[in-house]
Amino acid sequence: MSAYAALSRAVYKAAVRDATTVFFTFAFPLIFLVIFALIFRNQEVADTGRGYVDYIAPGVLSWGLANAALFGVAFTLMQWRNDDLLRIIRLSPTSIWSVIGSRYVVALGIGAAQCVLFVGVAMLPVFGMRPDPTWPLAIPIMLLAVTAFLALGLIVGSAANTPEAVAAIANCVVVPMAFLSGSFYPLELMPTWLQEVSRVLPMRYVNDGITYAFTGFGTMTDYLISCAALVVFTAVFAVVGVRTFRWSNDS
Amino acid sequence: MSPIDSPAIVLDAVSKSYGEVRAADEVSISIGRGEFFGLLGPNGAGKTTLIEMIEGLRLPDTGTITVLGMAPAPRNLDLLPRIGVQTQRSAFFTRLTAREHLVTVAALYGLPPATAEKALDLVGLTDSGNVRVTRISGGQRQRLAIASTLVHDPEVVFLDEPTAALDPEARRDLGQMLRNLKAIGKTIVYTTHHLDEAQTLCDRVAILSAGRVLALDSPRELIARSGIGTRLVIPAGRLSPEQAGTLDGVNGVAVEDGMLVLRTAHAARVLAALDGAADLDDVETRPATLEDVYLELIGAPQA
Ligand SMILES: Nc1ncnc2c1ncn2[C@@H]1O[C@H](COP(=O)(O)OP(=O)(O)OP(=O)(O)O)[C@@H](O)[C@H]1O
Ligand SMILES: [Mg+2]
Repeated sequence: MSAYAALSRAVYKAAVRDATTVFFTFAFPLIFLVIFALIFRNQEVADTGRGYVDYIAPGVLSWGLANAALFGVAFTLMQWRNDDLLRIIRLSPTSIWSVIGSRYVVALGIGAAQCVLFVGVAMLPVFGMRPDPTWPLAIPIMLLAVTAFLALGLIVGSAANTPEAVAAIANCVVVPMAFLSGSFYPLELMPTWLQEVSRVLPMRYVNDGITYAFTGFGTMTDYLISCAALVVFTAVFAVVGVRTFRWSNDS
Repeated sequence: MSPIDSPAIVLDAVSKSYGEVRAADEVSISIGRGEFFGLLGPNGAGKTTLIEMIEGLRLPDTGTITVLGMAPAPRNLDLLPRIGVQTQRSAFFTRLTAREHLVTVAALYGLPPATAEKALDLVGLTDSGNVRVTRISGGQRQRLAIASTLVHDPEVVFLDEPTAALDPEARRDLGQMLRNLKAIGKTIVYTTHHLDEAQTLCDRVAILSAGRVLALDSPRELIARSGIGTRLVIPAGRLSPEQAGTLDGVNGVAVEDGMLVLRTAHAARVLAALDGAADLDDVETRPATLEDVYLELIGAPQA
């Protein structure tokens, strides 16, 4: 077994054996879906003939993907460093890229599972989501979203030395970003200057891209811009993440 | 010098400071292949710092370190498979079982799961293989940590306080395991606070204090050179301290806990002189130990 496969397996098992991780990754976004469905029950968006769920679901899904990717990698990194596991890896001939790569492939798998579960539930008659035939366009955006937020998680995981710090920093990053990116609340209803602020936030592009894929809201150009923006964010976060990376808490 | 005769580890004037704290002060040590080497010293003496510099995990400020003829830092992929390290805090993969943990560690070295099984067996944990690492007992954790260290069959093994937190029987088992490792030719560098154990296991020890090497030799040699000699303990009242002081070969007399304690470099001569004055069956002979040497060097805590 390669180091990469073994580490992927270790990360996967650690994730699925933790009830909290499973809950926050899979159940939490669905709870949000239920809450929004109750708030906007039976309302249609003017002129489109679509239910609100078609607009709300992509936003909640974007947040759920970003949240799980960021928290997951930040926790793993902090925990592996604190538990001296990074030392064990550092003292073996395995490269740091196997470590990051294994965490990455698990994050992608979790992201894909989140999407399938979430969209599947949202399509149930009670919620009534109807994805457009362009829905496969959500796949590249999903992959890019997980990549960008995993890179951001590397930074958070290096900055934080305790689980509490990971939770505090990650929440401070993700929650305001979700609101400002229109994941929970339509951007169009916000002041113009806030809409401009959202352009420097990666979640906005996840949101735009997934919304376009599922509902056709926006243009293909916007969609491509979203993809490009996420690539840029990933590059920036990855550079900072590699620079802030620490094998241990001692110098 | 052929590679086989060359030392396993050479430290040359290695120093490291943390701000004002001197964690290593001009340390020069050469450790031979197959040697069992002990690093001793009080808390904060710099044992972990030194061992981690040898492993390449920390960088010395000045001085050079060579392990198996190579520099341990920056990260050296040729050297890493040949050394095995147990860190002072045992590290296990989150929420895995003992067996899964070892399989993962083996894979880090590109080795198949069968190697993990062998390591599990080596430390006697086969029966606990399917228990989560968080649930196994303290002693089992220690053994699992050692299995992780040995899974890739390294030539040089570093153990930082492997016997801390073990019960006496587990400590003895582990001591036996370490002897077996030495018997198959491994070089072992270990730290401990158990001086009796160091005395029986180590070929040589270095006693550190405040980052400096205070003594470096075999336990036997250190004890002989210390001049502490043997202590003869006699129940008080058999002999007055004044009388005892005049006996042939006695260097010092003290009364401790109602016992008369004689210090001597020539126990046999004193025992001969005592014959008649006291019943020899009541005389307890206590040869000097590494602990005596250590306490004399470090300065015994004044209780
Ligand atoms: N990362 C660090 N930053 C600052 N000071 C440190 C660091 N690591 C060690 N020290 C200091 O260096 C000195 C030596 O520490 P070290 O951990 O090497 O001692 P030790 O001999 O292993 O002690 P123990 O027996 O308690 O394990 C101590 O004074 C310690 O406080
Ligand atoms: Mg230590």
